[in-house]
Amino acid sequence: MAGSGVAHMRNNDEVVLEVRDLVVEFKAGGGRVVNAVSKISFDVCRGETLAIVGESGCGKTTLGKAVLQLPPPNSGDVIFEGTNLSKLPKEQLRSARTAMQMVFQDPISSLDPRMMVRDLIEEPLWVWERGSEEERAVKVRELLNNVGLDPELVLNRRSYEFSGGQCQRISIARSLALEPRMLICDEPVSALDVSIQAQILNLLQDMKDRYGLTMIFISHDLAVVKAVSNRIMVMYLGKICEVGSPDVIYSKPAHHYTSALINSVPIPDPTRKRTTVPLQGEPPSPVAPPSGCRFRTRCPAATEKCAAEEPQLREVSPGQFVACHHPRS
Amino acid sequence: MRKKYTIPTYFAFGWLGFAVFLAVFGSFIPIDGYQVIHGDFIDSPPFTSGHWFGVDSNGYDIFSGIINGARLSIFIAVVSVGLGGFIGSLLGVTAAYYRGRYDSVVNTAFNVVLSVPNLVLALALVAVLATNVDINEAVPTWRRLITLVMSLTIVIIPILGRIARAATLAWSGREFIVAARSMGMRDRHIISRHIVPNVLPALIAVGFLAVGVVIIAEASLSLLGVGIPDGASWGGMIARGRNDLEYNPHALYIPIIALAFTVISTNHVGDVLRGKLDRREGRL
Repeated sequence: MAGSGVAHMRNNDEVVLEVRDLVVEFKAGGGRVVNAVSKISFDVCRGETLAIVGESGCGKTTLGKAVLQLPPPNSGDVIFEGTNLSKLPKEQLRSARTAMQMVFQDPISSLDPRMMVRDLIEEPLWVWERGSEEERAVKVRELLNNVGLDPELVLNRRSYEFSGGQCQRISIARSLALEPRMLICDEPVSALDVSIQAQILNLLQDMKDRYGLTMIFISHDLAVVKAVSNRIMVMYLGKICEVGSPDVIYSKPAHHYTSALINSVPIPDPTRKRTTVPLQGEPPSPVAPPSGCRFRTRCPAATEKCAAEEPQLREVSPGQFVACHHPRS
Repeated sequence: MRKKYTIPTYFAFGWLGFAVFLAVFGSFIPIDGYQVIHGDFIDSPPFTSGHWFGVDSNGYDIFSGIINGARLSIFIAVVSVGLGGFIGSLLGVTAAYYRGRYDSVVNTAFNVVLSVPNLVLALALVAVLATNVDINEAVPTWRRLITLVMSLTIVIIPILGRIARAATLAWSGREFIVAARSMGMRDRHIISRHIVPNVLPALIAVGFLAVGVVIIAEASLSLLGVGIPDGASWGGMIARGRNDLEYNPHALYIPIIALAFTVISTNHVGDVLRGKLDRREGRL
């Protein structure tokens, strides 16, 4: 099912980020094109956490980076606080982008191994020449304290001396240095041990409250998403399947893909019997996505209509939007 | 855990230090210049009084020749590797960072130059650049020297340039580069603060290997008679000495030993440095 549409867009004053018809394509050699993100629209309201979920390769990370214009999308608009980032000249984009920062999946790869923590966190301030050297040093200490690291112990060390969880804290401190209003978290906990995941999630929640952040939280882990998000957007092969609040999505998913995803979450109970059939096969290649609904090749409810016509997002219950010709009821 | 140096490493550092010392301070050593003819001592064996390494069949003192050769070889090697490394890494780093058509052009150029064997390329360049229109007129030594350095620089550019390009490709895919961009860092700062410091260790290690390659190339060119004239470099001494192999073998062996020790030492130091400078986060 996986389709397009804008029925889920809210046009109120609280919208901070609005993304319209975003398309990201990569050249794959031989004239072929990878359709990583195909005409996706969504919006995020102030103080909200939007979770983007989907399996590996569905384009969630690309979508997150395209919002930051890294690289700029092939077409579509990213409107942040009324400014259309896709149409800004390079130099203005450079400064406008600082209001949005990103936390990456691999905490070790996201820190330069040759730099000391002091310089890593000061770097954004250095780039924008914020404050004097002393003021910046104070700010770096404050940020480290906020993310739960002792400045005395970490300032003069390098990233490879830390564990994954500590590196992720350093990266969060760095992303907050410019006091952004939006944080895009790209699978911030998927590379961490389960015991550390909760700490980082709590930290992100604290930082969100403290700095009044709006967040986009990209993940494939539905259990994590349930804990942090206000709104969930399910993606499949570069398209939106379903948008809704976590309660609705978990209790009565309307899209067959959403329900398959939720059923794939392991439940730690050895006596439990599987009640649903897991999804068969692999996702099709984004180089040659299926016609009509992109999920139809694996969908239990697919009909001829699904191959012929692309489903549009429509409201099936208040606040729940689904792009499917034959939604679950 | 820091690995201790081994005996070969001490030897390599010691030899290179000695060679550099000779190259820099050789002219202060109180012996005759390498072109002074000692008529009474022709074909003297090593350890003759006043001529530690002996004298060749022309009457030139071999120790003096080695000192002068060290100066030439090391000067040529350091200048051409330095220059070639600078130009090569400038091209390689920017090509890998900006990608696109510029990268294809640079990479293709590297491959074209690399596809010609080093020595053949240098030989061709020297032959073209260091020849007068009037072939009877001698080419001055300084012009020979500049031509030689230029040719060897051109040989080195793609060797180090490719290393720089490959290392930059690997590093610029890292997320800290994306992070730097998202915080609004300018490309030139990203390159100077994040790419170059990470690429440099690999370049330095390969640079030492390149010094060895250049010393060999220069010696080969001199052996073929297109390098520094008058047999002033180690290669030239070898070229001269090989005629007297039967009755005056030390005139051949001594410059060969000096050349071999120097090249083995630079290669070894390059290996050791690569191991030491390669600070990976994985090695905790």
